[in-house]
Amino acid sequence: MAQAAGATGKTEQKVVDNRKVFAFEIGFRLIRAMAVSFWVTVIAFLMMRIAPGDPARAALGLEATEEEVAILRKQLGLDRPLYEQFINFFTGVLRGDFGISLSFNREVSDIIFTALPTSLWLVLLTFIMGWSIVIPLALFVATSKSVIVAYLFRSTTAISIALPNFFIALILILLIGHPLFGYTPEFPENLGYLWLPAFVMVSSGGIAIMTRILASSISDTLKEEYVETGVFRGISRFRFLFYYLLKPSLAPTVALAAFGLGTAIGTTAIIESIFSIPGVGTELLAAVNGRDYPTVQALTFIFGVMVVFISFIGDLLAYWLDRRVKL
Amino acid sequence: MDEPGNSLVFTGSTMFVIVVSAGILVPLFYRFGPYDFVGEPLQSPSWAYLFGTDQLGRDIFSRTFHAVYRDMGVAFLGVSIPFITGTLIGIILGISKSKKTTSLIGSVIDGINAFPLLILAVASIAFLGPGLSSVIIILSLVNWARYAKIARTKAVVVSKANYIEAAYTLGYPKRRIFRKHIGPNVSSETIAYALSDFIIVILLVAGLSFLGLAATPPAAEWGAMISEGRPYLISSPWVSTFPGIALCWSAISLSLVVDGLNRREGKV
Repeated sequence: MAQAAGATGKTEQKVVDNRKVFAFEIGFRLIRAMAVSFWVTVIAFLMMRIAPGDPARAALGLEATEEEVAILRKQLGLDRPLYEQFINFFTGVLRGDFGISLSFNREVSDIIFTALPTSLWLVLLTFIMGWSIVIPLALFVATSKSVIVAYLFRSTTAISIALPNFFIALILILLIGHPLFGYTPEFPENLGYLWLPAFVMVSSGGIAIMTRILASSISDTLKEEYVETGVFRGISRFRFLFYYLLKPSLAPTVALAAFGLGTAIGTTAIIESIFSIPGVGTELLAAVNGRDYPTVQALTFIFGVMVVFISFIGDLLAYWLDRRVKL
Repeated sequence: MDEPGNSLVFTGSTMFVIVVSAGILVPLFYRFGPYDFVGEPLQSPSWAYLFGTDQLGRDIFSRTFHAVYRDMGVAFLGVSIPFITGTLIGIILGISKSKKTTSLIGSVIDGINAFPLLILAVASIAFLGPGLSSVIIILSLVNWARYAKIARTKAVVVSKANYIEAAYTLGYPKRRIFRKHIGPNVSSETIAYALSDFIIVILLVAGLSFLGLAATPPAAEWGAMISEGRPYLISSPWVSTFPGIALCWSAISLSLVVDGLNRREGKV
């Protein structure tokens, strides 16, 4: 196909090739994301197996009678061979059926669907907040010629990577908890203060690395000749910053942002519990404390799949921004 | 100061040495033990009780530095075990000729790495039960995958390098090439990751203990102590603050070292 196009002319060959390459790259990433999701399912399924002894016995405690344990074994499907259990779990996942919670006697999928939107709002807010800090900061640091700015930036980011988010959260609550700010830690009033946990998630970890990477790619872009051409042609400052500098520099940061968002999703487990937000993180902790195995499995699976999905989108975006990105 | 990054490495390692030596000296020589009830509860810091006392009247200074060996020790094991297994597995995958096996294990590695570490740790504690040993177990089971990914990429590059080919031509045995050439070159990369992983794991151990899933009261551990002080955050902030500062101090010291080393190599 490409050869035939090559015979008819150079321009046409380029068009055909680009489309094919694009489709191939998307397909390749999609297949990989699906393969990873499969292993995510396997790992979530096998989790119950790392428990020493019988999971049903562990869930019920030592006081439970043999009959009770036998009933739970049957309910969890532990009496069937391992491969059959896995097939059941896998087809259940495909249908969105995760079994029944041991502590609440509710469908696990029901728990997920009530908790997930809150967490997604939190993650979305974190995402927006993160980018609206990263972009201006990186532009400022990369275009600044001051040594002090570079030094301050370097040391602040090094420190912020190492800050324990739960401790920062406690200090923030201590400061904002002052009646002057009107923060109430009770649900649902605290949802109006969703920016507070989002800020904690933004400030610890990911954002520092993202800003660094973006600032360094902008510095690289600054050395390109077309940027100089732009300056000579006298374009506006806004156009210069956003079209000449930012857009060509974004790809590596976008790929990294997907990873950072995955980590941020992980920290919801700790942050949601501190700010009493009823999201998937809080549900996971409750399920862990209550030894509610089906819910733990299902939520772990949901977390894994969310991260796979986000990195898939991040991959695609990075590829779309810069065709040279190979992963 | 002559080389960029040296001052960062120096500051960081000094901070680290300070906290580790305090962690050794305080348990040996300080007059209060971490579990002794030494005075009235919730006394503010004074000459008698340097960091004050907690809600049960235990000395916070003693507890904060007794926690060092627990936090650092668990983090050390939780980093070194996956470091060793992950690097070995990664190298084997990188130099292996069987395409099918390597791509299969490669996708398992991607699957494990897809999970946020905190989520896997929290979830598996449901099955293993709370405790610091559970944290070490889960890190050993899971975290090798990140090292394996890095080691594999590097091993592929190294095994194609000219000096490896030269070593083969010279007729060196495979084991020698593995040990003397591929191993050191790959592990320099994974050691660099291990340093920054140490920060992640210290924060993870404290975070899990804060949630009551790793070290549990009355254990002297930073995360558990911060969590114990939560009800008194406003009236007696020192209960949570001093272990919190110790935790930040340790993590920041390592972060400065990592940053300094990166800077020396000209990395971002």
